[in-house]
Amino acid sequence: MARVFNWQIGREMSYWYPESRPKRQFAAVFDINKCIACQTCTLACKTTWTSGRGQEYMLWNNVETKPYGFYPLSWDVKLLETLGSGQWRGSVYEGKTIFESAPAGERVLGWKPGSEDYAYPNTGEDDCVGRVDHGLSLSLPHLSWFFYLARICNHCTYPACLASCPRASIYKRQEDGIVLLDQGRCRGYQECVRACPYKKVFYNPMTGTSEKCIACYPKIEQGLQPQCFVNCIGKIRMAGWVSTSSQARPDNPIDYLVHVRKVALPLFPQFGLEPNVYYIPPMHVPMPFLRQMFGPGADHAVGVYRNASRDPDLAALLCLFGSTESAVERWRRDGETVTGTNDKGVAAVRVPVREPVFIRPAFDPKFRVIRTNCP
Amino acid sequence: MKKVAPAYLAVLLLACGTSCSKRQITTAEVVAAASSTLPPDPQHPAWNNAPEFSGPLLLQDLVEPRLMTPSTMLIRVRALTNGTDIAFRLQWLDATLDDAPGPGRFADGCAVQLPRSPADEPPAPQMGELGRPVEIIFWRADWQAAVNGRPDSIQSLYPNAAVDHYPFQAPSAEPGSAGQQAMARRYAPAEALGNRRAGPRKSPVEDLVAQGPGTLAPAAETRSDGRGIRSKDGWLVVLRRPLPSDFTPGKRTQVAFAVWQGSHGEAGARKMRTGWAPLLRQAGP
Repeated sequence: MARVFNWQIGREMSYWYPESRPKRQFAAVFDINKCIACQTCTLACKTTWTSGRGQEYMLWNNVETKPYGFYPLSWDVKLLETLGSGQWRGSVYEGKTIFESAPAGERVLGWKPGSEDYAYPNTGEDDCVGRVDHGLSLSLPHLSWFFYLARICNHCTYPACLASCPRASIYKRQEDGIVLLDQGRCRGYQECVRACPYKKVFYNPMTGTSEKCIACYPKIEQGLQPQCFVNCIGKIRMAGWVSTSSQARPDNPIDYLVHVRKVALPLFPQFGLEPNVYYIPPMHVPMPFLRQMFGPGADHAVGVYRNASRDPDLAALLCLFGSTESAVERWRRDGETVTGTNDKGVAAVRVPVREPVFIRPAFDPKFRVIRTNCP
Repeated sequence: MKKVAPAYLAVLLLACGTSCSKRQITTAEVVAAASSTLPPDPQHPAWNNAPEFSGPLLLQDLVEPRLMTPSTMLIRVRALTNGTDIAFRLQWLDATLDDAPGPGRFADGCAVQLPRSPADEPPAPQMGELGRPVEIIFWRADWQAAVNGRPDSIQSLYPNAAVDHYPFQAPSAEPGSAGQQAMARRYAPAEALGNRRAGPRKSPVEDLVAQGPGTLAPAAETRSDGRGIRSKDGWLVVLRRPLPSDFTPGKRTQVAFAVWQGSHGEAGARKMRTGWAPLLRQAGP
């Protein structure tokens, strides 16, 4: 095992290969507060990439309801239980990652889902934690709560799938950090399925190889955002590039949300993979749950997000989510307008921070009628 | 041929139960007996003409991912040669039949490994060494099921699987047309790259070469063949390949075996294996 630096846990850690960061790293921010679990992202991915034989059960993109929804069944709680608890001291994780707690004979601490664990996506999971008693009123955090968690491959800096493959069939592209599985080299051992803590590698029984999210790299190569991003009707997603914390640029939208404002957080940073999909945590959920899922930055992130409407720059940047098919490399706010520029430095989109408001009086004086809201 | 004492023979017969064949001559090396026929049927009586080699299987616990708990303990091997080809019959105990691939499912399998050339000093038994390749015949139970006629559909693996629609089966796509087949391949990238790990096939075996752990690669062509049948308590598999060059009558080379038990989650490096065992080509007709 080599020693590598993982900024998300604030320390060096053990990894199967030495540190080798790509020239730039594909990354994304998902604003969980806006997700309504319509599954349009899931279907956008499904129809684009996984409509083949043996891919029937595959959801490279899925949306599950937390805390009771999982795909595959119990993917996160099973590993959390096996890994055991670990303490954070400030922003430094003092517990063990899944690489550091690998048992003898293994490269990664993992577990193998069975076929039946994939059999019931989204079945019976929209349930609140706690009872809704008479006299209850809404407050933050909610006493009874659930939320939707949209998930794709995290294109991790330290992928467990890549570390676990005895054949080195999985590689991380130097040009964009996208993690790909070589379909010509894979022999279907399912080591990657066992190792990925997010369970985002899927075995295809009809081809006999494992398959995974490719971050729509043919689109990324054209400066476009992936299918699940541009089809999101809730406009919860933004794709771009993340720097390490020491090289963050405020005019890079992902860097601004992740490093400058620290409002977007990695999913289960304690696993140690440095995942590159970042989440703005749901602000109605009790903090202990959010701290377990997103690390010790959850309190700060929720605080910043709750103040977003009084925070001109943050409010402006959030308006660029879902506003263009182009990947937004840089952003700038000019008064009440926010601009996103593409990889050629050209303005790809310009959006008003606040939509103009028109108030239509209920009474129409010209026709002397009361208007109704029906078309 | 080496003779064993009658008392020892009786003990052996008792120890291995009814699945042993009648003739019980065990040898410390694998002896390829000369034979005019190399029967593909693992139960053909000609196999009784070859002495039996019993090899204890070891954990693959040298490179990660390792197998840490043992499963199959013993492999029994007989070998025949007709002067151009050599055939091995492998026999091992496995209480469960695992021949359906799927997430969390693994297939039973076995392999025979030989050094590329019958040198005095064979390469490392663990998949060979850089510049000193080994040749492997690999058999898998799910491939055998496909050869035996299991339909190539998700329902043959998961009988209750429901499928709404495959795009390449749309009414506008004429079945069998070039456009329709290209569309189907688009959703089967491994197949499009010629990496056929599943699906319809003519043979249940694959020829491989390796130069150390993690380097396994398909051979330029598969010249081997094989057939596996399920016995009441395990597998009987015949694997046949051309004789290694320079492996003349009376000469020795080395051979190693490996077994995967699907129900034990074994695949790839997670396997039970032997070290090198001497392989003697019997002189004579």
